[in-house]
Amino acid sequence: MRGSPLLRALCAFVIIAALGWPLWHLTRPAEVVAGPANPLPVVEGKAIGLQLDFTTPPKSFAVRHLEKDVWVDSAPQSQMERELPLVFPENGVDLVFHFEWPDDAPLAAARVRLTDPHGDVHEKSVWGQGTVDEVLTFP
Amino acid sequence: MKTFALSIVALALTALTSPAAEKIRVSSFSTVLTEIAQQVGGERVAVTAHIKPGVDPHEFEPKPSDLKTVGDAQLILVSAKHLEGYVGKLKEATGAKGSLVEVGDRFPSLKMKADDGHDHGHKHAHKHGESVEDPHWWHSIANTEKAVKIVRDELTKISPADKQAFASNAAAYAGKLDALQKWVKVEVAKLPRDQRKLVTSHDAFQYFAKENGFTIYAIEGVTSGDQPSSKKVAEIIGVIKAQSVKAIFPESIQNPKVLTEITRETGVKVGRELYADGLGEGAASTYEGMYKSNVTAIVSALK
Repeated sequence: MRGSPLLRALCAFVIIAALGWPLWHLTRPAEVVAGPANPLPVVEGKAIGLQLDFTTPPKSFAVRHLEKDVWVDSAPQSQMERELPLVFPENGVDLVFHFEWPDDAPLAAARVRLTDPHGDVHEKSVWGQGTVDEVLTFP
Repeated sequence: MKTFALSIVALALTALTSPAAEKIRVSSFSTVLTEIAQQVGGERVAVTAHIKPGVDPHEFEPKPSDLKTVGDAQLILVSAKHLEGYVGKLKEATGAKGSLVEVGDRFPSLKMKADDGHDHGHKHAHKHGESVEDPHWWHSIANTEKAVKIVRDELTKISPADKQAFASNAAAYAGKLDALQKWVKVEVAKLPRDQRKLVTSHDAFQYFAKENGFTIYAIEGVTSGDQPSSKKVAEIIGVIKAQSVKAIFPESIQNPKVLTEITRETGVKVGRELYADGLGEGAASTYEGMYKSNVTAIVSALK
C-alpha cells in the first residue's frame, strides 16, 4: 500500500467509523421509555374497614392487632368508622378490643362491623361494664 | 330460767343437725377436680385429694389407705377417659355407699396416638400409633366449665338442701373461668395465626389447641430412653423447618443429644416446661395459675 502514512491512517479511521457506527447502533442498550405507571398491587391492609356503634360511648377505646394499636380514641362518638392499616391474611385476623366504659354506666354494647378486602361484612358484638378486653376473630 | 334452758337445748340441737356438723366427704383423683369440688362445695365439703399437685396421674396407683378413704366417701371424682386404670379397684372399694363419677366421660373426646410404654392408665398398653381417647380434657376451659356443672349437680344430689349454695359457688367459679378464657384469648392474639404451632413430645394439648387455634406437631422419640434413629431425627428437623416453628416444648428429656442436634440444625428455641397432667406446684397449684403458666410459656416462646 502506497501513499502517505497520514493519508492511510485517515482512510483507516474513516473505514472503522463507517463500520463502527452501525455496529454501535445495533448493540447499544435499548432506550427505556417510561410508559404509564402500572397500578400498584392492592395492599390488602388498606381495605379493612371497621365501624363501631355503641349503645353508650366508652370513655376511650383501643383496637390492637399483634400487640400494636391500630385505632385509639379517647373521646369516641356513638358511631365511628375507619380504615385500618393492616394486612388481612387469608386465614383471618384477630383483633383485641379494649373498651373503658364509665364506671356508673349500665351494661353497654359495641357492635363491630368489619369489611374485609373482598368486601364481605362481618358483624360481632362486645358487651360489658367498666373495662373490657375482648378478642374478636374475623371471619 | 326455763326459756334459757330451752334456748340452750335448741342451740345444741341446731349445732348437731347443722350442715357444718357433717360435711360431704369427697374423694378426688384429679388435681383439677379437687379444686372444682372445693370451690363448688365450699364449707359444705371435705375433699380428700388423693393426687397432689405435681404428681403424675399416669403413674399413680392407689394405696390401701386411699381405698379405705374412698370406701367412706360419699362422692368419688375421677378424670376418666381411661386416665385411671384403677377405677375398677375404686368401684370395689366404694361398695354401694359412694357415687363414683367419671367426669371426663360426660363430654366428647379428642383422639391421640398411643405411645409405646405410655398407656395412660390402661390395664393394657396400646400399640404404638394406635388411636386412643385423649384424657387431658381440662386443657379446654369449656370442658372445665362443664365439669363444674357436673360436680355441682352431684353435690346437690347428695345434699339437696344446699342446692342454692352450690349453684352460687359454681356460678362464681364459672365467672373466674370466663375471665380466664378471655385472658387466654387476648394472650394468644399476640401470635399471628400462622405461628400457632405447638411442637410437643407429650401429646397432651389437643383440647387446648382446638380451643385456641393451634396446630400440634408431635415429636415422638425425644423423650423415650431409646436413641431415636437418624431418620426419625431428620423427620423431626424437617417438620420444624417446614413449619417454621420457633420453639418446641419437649418434656422429660432423656435424650439431650437429640435435642441438641435438633436445636443446632433448626435454630429452634426450647420452651419452658408445660403442665400437661394437671396442676403443678407453687403458682401453678391452682387451675388459673397452671393455665396462665402454660399460656405465658407458649406465647412468649413462639412470639
